[in-house]
Amino acid sequence: METVLTTHFADEQYRHVDTYLRFGGYAALRKALSMPKEQIVEEVKKANLRGRGGAGFPAGVKWGFLPKDLSRPRVLVINADEGEPGTFKDRQIMARAPHLLLEGIAISSYAMTIHVSYIYIRGEFVREAKIVEEAVAEAYAKGFLGKNLLGSGFDLDVTVHRGAGAYICGEETSLINSLEGKRGWPRIKPPFPASVGAFGLPTIVNNVETIADVPWIVTHGGEKFASLGVEKNGGTRLIGVSGPVNRPGVYELSAGVLLREVIYTHAGGLKDGKALKAVIPGGSSTPVLRPDEIDVTFDIESMGKIGTMPGSGGVIVIAEGTCMVRALSVLMKFYAHESCGQCTPCREGTGWLAKIMGRIENGQGREGDLELVLDVCDNMMGRTICPLADAAVMPAQSFIWKFREEFDRHIQDQKCPFGNKF
Amino acid sequence: MSAAFSDTARRELEAILSRYPDKEAAILPALHLAQREFGYVSDEAIVYVAGLLGFTPARIEGVATFYTMYNRKPVGKYHLQICRNISCSLMGAEHLIEHVSKKLGIRPGKTTPDGKFTLSEVECLGSCGTAPVLQLNDDYHENLTEEKIDALLDRLP
Amino acid sequence: MPTFLINGVVAEVPEGMTILEAAKRIGIEIPHYCYHPKLSIAGNCRMCLVEVEKFPKLQISCNTVVTEGMVVRTDTEKVKNAVTGVLELMLLHHPIDCPICDQAGECGLQNYYMKYGLHKSRYALEDKVHKKKVQDIGGQIVLDAERCILCSRCVRFLQEVTGTCEMEFFSRGDHSEISIFPGRPLGNNYTGNLADICPVGALTNKDFRFKCRVWFLKSADSICPGCANGCNIHADFKGDILYRFRPRQNDAVNQTWLCDFGRLEYKKANEDRLLTPVIREGGQSIAAAWDAALFATALKFREAVEAHGPESAAVIASPQSSNEELFLVRKLAKEVLRTPNFGFTSRTPGDRASDDFLIKADKNPNSKGAQLLGFTEEGFDRTFQAISDGKIRALLVFGNVLADFTEGETGRLLSNVPFVAHVGTNNGALSRAAHAVLPSASFAERGGTFTNFAGRVQQFRPGFPPRGKAKNDIEIVAELANRLGAGWSFAGEASVFQALSASEAPFAGMSYESLGTLGQVAGGSE
Repeated sequence: METVLTTHFADEQYRHVDTYLRFGGYAALRKALSMPKEQIVEEVKKANLRGRGGAGFPAGVKWGFLPKDLSRPRVLVINADEGEPGTFKDRQIMARAPHLLLEGIAISSYAMTIHVSYIYIRGEFVREAKIVEEAVAEAYAKGFLGKNLLGSGFDLDVTVHRGAGAYICGEETSLINSLEGKRGWPRIKPPFPASVGAFGLPTIVNNVETIADVPWIVTHGGEKFASLGVEKNGGTRLIGVSGPVNRPGVYELSAGVLLREVIYTHAGGLKDGKALKAVIPGGSSTPVLRPDEIDVTFDIESMGKIGTMPGSGGVIVIAEGTCMVRALSVLMKFYAHESCGQCTPCREGTGWLAKIMGRIENGQGREGDLELVLDVCDNMMGRTICPLADAAVMPAQSFIWKFREEFDRHIQDQKCPFGNKF
Repeated sequence: MSAAFSDTARRELEAILSRYPDKEAAILPALHLAQREFGYVSDEAIVYVAGLLGFTPARIEGVATFYTMYNRKPVGKYHLQICRNISCSLMGAEHLIEHVSKKLGIRPGKTTPDGKFTLSEVECLGSCGTAPVLQLNDDYHENLTEEKIDALLDRLP
Repeated sequence: MPTFLINGVVAEVPEGMTILEAAKRIGIEIPHYCYHPKLSIAGNCRMCLVEVEKFPKLQISCNTVVTEGMVVRTDTEKVKNAVTGVLELMLLHHPIDCPICDQAGECGLQNYYMKYGLHKSRYALEDKVHKKKVQDIGGQIVLDAERCILCSRCVRFLQEVTGTCEMEFFSRGDHSEISIFPGRPLGNNYTGNLADICPVGALTNKDFRFKCRVWFLKSADSICPGCANGCNIHADFKGDILYRFRPRQNDAVNQTWLCDFGRLEYKKANEDRLLTPVIREGGQSIAAAWDAALFATALKFREAVEAHGPESAAVIASPQSSNEELFLVRKLAKEVLRTPNFGFTSRTPGDRASDDFLIKADKNPNSKGAQLLGFTEEGFDRTFQAISDGKIRALLVFGNVLADFTEGETGRLLSNVPFVAHVGTNNGALSRAAHAVLPSASFAERGGTFTNFAGRVQQFRPGFPPRGKAKNDIEIVAELANRLGAGWSFAGEASVFQALSASEAPFAGMSYESLGTLGQVAGGSE
């Protein structure tokens, strides 16, 4: 299968500009700088490149939201805040192929007439931030960033900006606020970032992987990229598999790959011959699937039909013998910990869900607790400034709907049927 | 004792300021610098950064207390941050946390009396494929087992 | 001007107006906490959710601009359930402080709970998150972080209105807490507004703490007498005691704000009042009946004028008096006493600080009115000179202080005058130096108009009748004038204002009706 991103991931030197150049790096940038900007955007549209951060919004369409008038400078912000549990792909791109990201930034910025870009990297990725900063310095030295890129007359400044520990900053308006030096509170919309974004300027926020796909699209054309995937979901995507599987890790696969194939072919199936109990397909915020639901392809439409999403491509495998109550409790604690606290339903709701699930997990569940959880979920869903509340609700609802018996038993027996440990 | 940046840190801050149209954007980087310079983000550090950038201490405190990586209290020489999120839990993180807790004689959230270790439970560190994972100060340690952790802790000076 | 449909009612509204504002305009109440007309939109409380056709999710009405043909519903089951749901979540950790909380009776949570809640709590008491209560955070404010609903009005006020940013959110999630940085209390002159804008009892006023339940208070629309800005206020009282001021909205004067000094001005009407006429003879002060006091005063003036001419009489007016009172005082001086010695000064002892917001250096509510009605500082200087030269035999002085003089200076100056009659509200240097004290009704005990620094003529209304034996100044001046042969017949301040506006050019065409609740700018003031 043709790879777009991971072709040279195994080469430890690929992060350095000389090796990157040897493998044909920055040729796409050279080509792009001689193309009309609209044509680059066209190719990205033709590629059916959907955002790889989790929301899956078509990148070419998003780019089109920038105002036509160029009087106000625009900003490109790269979302490298990878924090969705089960997701660990952007880390690979940044650590192994930072120049691929930088080349993507340069091409995208040129296409959108953007002269300033910030790469917002989650604070915990100290090593990755250093690697990207070194790559930025190398790119400046070689004239791939800075003034007059490759003699084109196009200027671009790129700055690495580190976060400091907040999952919510993966939401684009929270990220913008954090970039501006504020608490990571998402913004109410309208206005949208494309009209009022970072520092009040029109801003496009894109995921690392989305931008890293751009050089290949320029080199080989949008249609070719699209053909690697399925209808409306073009290209390949980096799918991470975690949990008790034989070969956990990141795999570059077609956007239309079968979930079953991801788990059993690429990740080698479950360890110790265990049976599959459940799988979360796209990072913890996506509804869980039962073993009889894994014959679905990874694209948004197909997953949507069975009530879930490919999200950020973080496949979390759950084996038989795992307590689903405990698993849900872990997740509810996570969302409560990460809620920014700005709006009422999420702030209070995530805390409440965590408390109820904690009680149930500890054998102090009460009759009516599950109805209460589902009722609280209804009061949170769709009522908030950003989707974090929805992200907490979807696992809560799907776990309880699909494993109801187990939850009931845990409450009735006032103890964990699996001995309170994973 | 009054807090102040070293010359190196001041120069770094100057360089940082030049990358943004608004000095407010230097708040997160400045707090990272402060943590590096002073060991943790103390009250004095908050007041210092506020004065340096022209904001009220309340404003800076609001930012410092929002993000988990800014330590408002001192941490031990080695800050052990063990992920307790879903993939790591599925791969036995809870046992590891219990193990470390017993070994060091402290509950998560606490520091050993000799100030050497602080143990924290943290959320997803973004390395789920190599779970269980911990972050020791700045560095990730992956594919952990009890033995590996013992070896790691025992060789720390 | 888009036209839209809300709850089946068609309405046309100005371009750019949000659904919440539009609804307010036509009398449909949409519940909300974080929205405030003078602060930026926060959109965090989520109480103002409404159904908008073509939108799959409920929308917050505070941040949704009305477009042509929009169809909105605020009264459906979906909306009601949403509001009840949000309210339940908001009340989760709220302490049941009502029995000891000052906000009771004017509390956003109480009000909406009665309207949209009435549910039993499903949250265990032991699960409640506790936060710091009863914190003195400086200025006039006590903070109870546990009661806070995190609407961010206070933070936005301190960012957008005062620019002093003393308060901020700390931590995150349901441990988020509003506070100041330790050791950095509120340090601006507008802290009292924080208690006004806080929808609940998280921020309350120290001065008002535990003093009175709000449902016992009545309110008079009034004007703060603290300086020349003329901030519009509600003067809240019980019986004949004032308990507090709250700002009244007037976008041309004070928007919805009041300064901390003005906020405490109500105390002057309560404390240290002159409540009975006093005559001082041979060093002895005797409480007198009004008749006796007025008779004695009129007699002294008649004797002085007859024996030494009108130049031996003097009148010092006060910029604390209303336009109506000043009109009559000038008539008394010019037409009845016919003296050249009358004037006023806006000087006051003590603080003359001002800022570029509401606080004016002139600490009197009606200096402009005095000017427009013919009183001058030159007149005061002339009168002062005449007094110092021993030429004045009878002086009528209004107000509670004499310029910026100390007690000693006041006493020394007035010792040059054989008869001083003082019309004032509070004890002070003037009342102690006067031979006749004629107690005056406070601004809360009478009606009238003040003219602020910008020439805006604004009405203040009484809350209750004059305390003790105090009288409305209009009555006092008319009595004196008539005992000196004036033959006036005014029936209350409205009739005085009518006469005033008929004869004084700057006030031409004005009436209490035309002044309304927001006032009018006097002619020639621009």
